[in-house]
Amino acid sequence: MSHRIMIIDDEKIVGDMAKISLEEEGYEVETFLNAAPALKKLEEEPFDVVVTDLKMKNIDGLEVLRKVKKLHPSTKVIMITAFANLDVAIEAIKEDVFDFFPKPVRIKELKESIRKALIPDDQTKP
Amino acid sequence: MTILKKMRSLLGRYGNQLQDRHVNIRSVFQGYKKILDDNNHALKIINDMSEKMSGGYLFDIAYIREAYSELATAMRDCLADFNRLTEGQYPQLEPVFNNIDSHIRELLNPQTKTARRRLISFDNILPESAKEVGGKNYHLSQVKNALGLAVPEGFVLTVHAYDDFIRYNHLDESITGLEDHEYDPGMLAEVRNRIMEGGFGSSLKSEVGEALGRLREECEGACHLAVRSSGEEEDEVFSFAGQFETVLNVFPDVDSVLDAYRRVIASLFSEEAIAYQLNLNYSPAGMRMAVGVIVMVDAVASGVVYTVNPMDKNQQSMLINSAWGLGTSVVDNLTEADTFIIRKKPPFETEEVRLGKKDTMMVMAAAGGLEKREVPADRQRLPSLNAEQLAELSRQALKIENFYHKPQDIEWALDRSGRVVILQSRHLRIQEPAGEDTTETVDAQPPGEHPVLMLDQGIVVYPGAVGGRAFIVDESAALADFPWGAILVARNDSPQFVRVMPYATAIITDSGNATSHMASVSREFRVPTVVNTGNATDVIKHGEDITLKADEDGGMVVYQGMDKEIIGRHHDSFIKLEELFEFRRKKYIMKFITPLNLVNPFTDEFVPERCRTIHDILRFIHEKSMQKLIDSSRFAGRQASLKRLDIPLLEDIHVIDIGGGLKPGTDKMVSMGQVKSAPLRAVIAGMAYPGAWRQNVGNVSLSDLMTASMRTGDIMGSVQVNLAVISRRYLNLAVRFGYHFTIVDAFVDTNPLNNHIYFRFLGGAAAVTKRVRRVHMLEIILRHFGFVTEINGDLITGVVTNVSEAEALRILDQVGRLMAYTRQLDAPLTSEAVADEYARRFINGDYTM
Repeated sequence: MSHRIMIIDDEKIVGDMAKISLEEEGYEVETFLNAAPALKKLEEEPFDVVVTDLKMKNIDGLEVLRKVKKLHPSTKVIMITAFANLDVAIEAIKEDVFDFFPKPVRIKELKESIRKALIPDDQTKP
Repeated sequence: MTILKKMRSLLGRYGNQLQDRHVNIRSVFQGYKKILDDNNHALKIINDMSEKMSGGYLFDIAYIREAYSELATAMRDCLADFNRLTEGQYPQLEPVFNNIDSHIRELLNPQTKTARRRLISFDNILPESAKEVGGKNYHLSQVKNALGLAVPEGFVLTVHAYDDFIRYNHLDESITGLEDHEYDPGMLAEVRNRIMEGGFGSSLKSEVGEALGRLREECEGACHLAVRSSGEEEDEVFSFAGQFETVLNVFPDVDSVLDAYRRVIASLFSEEAIAYQLNLNYSPAGMRMAVGVIVMVDAVASGVVYTVNPMDKNQQSMLINSAWGLGTSVVDNLTEADTFIIRKKPPFETEEVRLGKKDTMMVMAAAGGLEKREVPADRQRLPSLNAEQLAELSRQALKIENFYHKPQDIEWALDRSGRVVILQSRHLRIQEPAGEDTTETVDAQPPGEHPVLMLDQGIVVYPGAVGGRAFIVDESAALADFPWGAILVARNDSPQFVRVMPYATAIITDSGNATSHMASVSREFRVPTVVNTGNATDVIKHGEDITLKADEDGGMVVYQGMDKEIIGRHHDSFIKLEELFEFRRKKYIMKFITPLNLVNPFTDEFVPERCRTIHDILRFIHEKSMQKLIDSSRFAGRQASLKRLDIPLLEDIHVIDIGGGLKPGTDKMVSMGQVKSAPLRAVIAGMAYPGAWRQNVGNVSLSDLMTASMRTGDIMGSVQVNLAVISRRYLNLAVRFGYHFTIVDAFVDTNPLNNHIYFRFLGGAAAVTKRVRRVHMLEIILRHFGFVTEINGDLITGVVTNVSEAEALRILDQVGRLMAYTRQLDAPLTSEAVADEYARRFINGDYTM
């Protein structure tokens, strides 16, 4: 079964582009413009990786990160944001974010990060 | 051109004014360098934007806004510095920039709308109105306004008219609500009904009335109209063919036209049209529609041209379908049609004819609408186009394809006077031949067995995996002959290549860099491009098939032959990206930034008013700043302290050092060892090259001498002729050798973008025919070294820009040799063939006469 990736970004183009690029790698991709329906979906079924924007209208990326970790501790969260600042990055790292990218994100790097995120934890530990 | 005029031209356009003024060459030079920095800064931002929006990055609107705001600031600085340097000589440039800037800002911040035109006639549609009039209308206006082909008269009710109509009838909320209700059929039907019952504000009505009045005047009474859709996105990437309604044979009165308008608008909300858009990932409720109102052609015959015959693997032919009467019979398959396969180049021979049995035709009905009619039996099997009409139609179709650089699907009609009228042109999407096709190519080498010509050389400007026939652009293969789909191989990268870029499969150059004008246009057009490979023109043979695989991470391979395995693999995801509405919409602003329209500085087009993009403005500024520098150097001699070069060959030359061109402490006489100016050293080295300089200058007749002294006398009288203005990296050298007058101006530093070499030559002392031959010979040689040249009688000017430091110095060395070589040249040039031969010898390093 192919890995499932969720993309949350309030700009349609980001989700659309990510979907095309990631489907090319054989992943199953679902995109959301709002965090609320995305989290609802996560309650119903798990995803392997969640890629989320940080700054969004109602629920921000950090909150998404906390919720995801509570629901599915093994799901990896990658954060992308136009407002890259150190405080948020530190906060996100504390919350066990897998990776953190400032926008514009090089798709090649995002793919590489997802590839790493999908390696089961027990294989990455010594 | 009179001699006097030529002199003026030689001195530069502003020579006369400059003579009487104090020219501070040092400050001009500083100003020039400042502009180089400004230019580079702006180009760097543009390149960054192109790269981020090329499909390899996830980006959002915040990024574009930020990047553009940085670019706009850089442009303002650049314009201010340019204005200072040229002392306000180009006041038109700033308004041109402001105009482009406001378009971009409007796209970035849609709420700050400026002029909203609800009705535009086809004659007045400009590139910036493309979105307002919709894709289909815009293309038709280009066929008329840019290509000068016949299209029907008409006007467009823009997307602003649509917005007003929707608002006037309070439909906004119902429409935005559709998405939430998943386009419920009942709600769609209600929207359609309300549109059909909708009213129009009185001002829009009167605008339409006036426009119809003008149309009626032009069609002298019998005026029948077609009212058809042109969605914002229609014909852009997807054709939307047949999705929206077209109303035919509408009477030219306000009520009839507005009624047809409602029907067209309502069709935007048909279940089929909504499903089609959803399928393509659009959000239908957000789409706005422009509507074209055009005069119908009372057609004798009409039909469709595919500029690429889908059955022809080699894509060397076009396909024309044609039937009697109006075009709907062909488009909607109401009758059999004639099929003509036409060879895709002049004189457009017919390769194949299949005549259909055309038993019915559509004509305009007296009561409006169309009616079907029987075709008389004796005409049913007659060809609906004759050879001459086929050739004319093919010529026009190819012209349109060349303009768009993409295969076209063109609807046309033949009017009562036998004139071809273009009704519509859109991109033809051709399916690549399916897999089984490749097995037929017996001569293809098995994959992986193609010899490697180049490996990991140069800089990848734009990645991709493509194959095609190599076309080496040099002095013998002109750009004008560049074939569709070939791979361009050249010594230097050049903004000239922009002309062929939209239909070049790839570009590979020996020198060049990733931030040049050409590179940014390569990204714009997504042409796989590798520059600075060192030896592409040596390794690749003109006319051979090659495969280029250039990777995003900088690796590259060139194989001999076409490796279909490699070529097939890459482009899928890019095509999908290009199909994203949001992606295109965001990228749309780049249309006002990256394309380069100002290519050749020697044409009349090279004026501020022709700058349509920011890139054009930068190119203009660079060129004119360089001219300013050259002109200023010419008149620098008067007030500066002069020294003299004490160098064999150049002993009579004064020198002005404006910064680091000479060793400190150099006295009045300057020896070669004291010259620090890199470009001057290169030129002198070239002149002194063994064999290039000969002592025994050829025989010159008395009449030749008379002409020569007449021609150069005036120049000598007014300016300092033998003068070198130098810095460490700059040279302006004006010398008279024998009876020839030469100017070399060069700036050479480590950034290729900053570099230029400018060369001017005016000869004397020979009969007219010899002078023409000499100029011809110089042109061959200069073009070989990458110069763009212009000839004006026997005055030749050449410019080469964007070359690496090493390449620039190499060219300057050759320029030195050329100057030495041409001293003695007139006498032996007895025929054109001899001139060709001398050019060839010179290029090969043979300086014998």
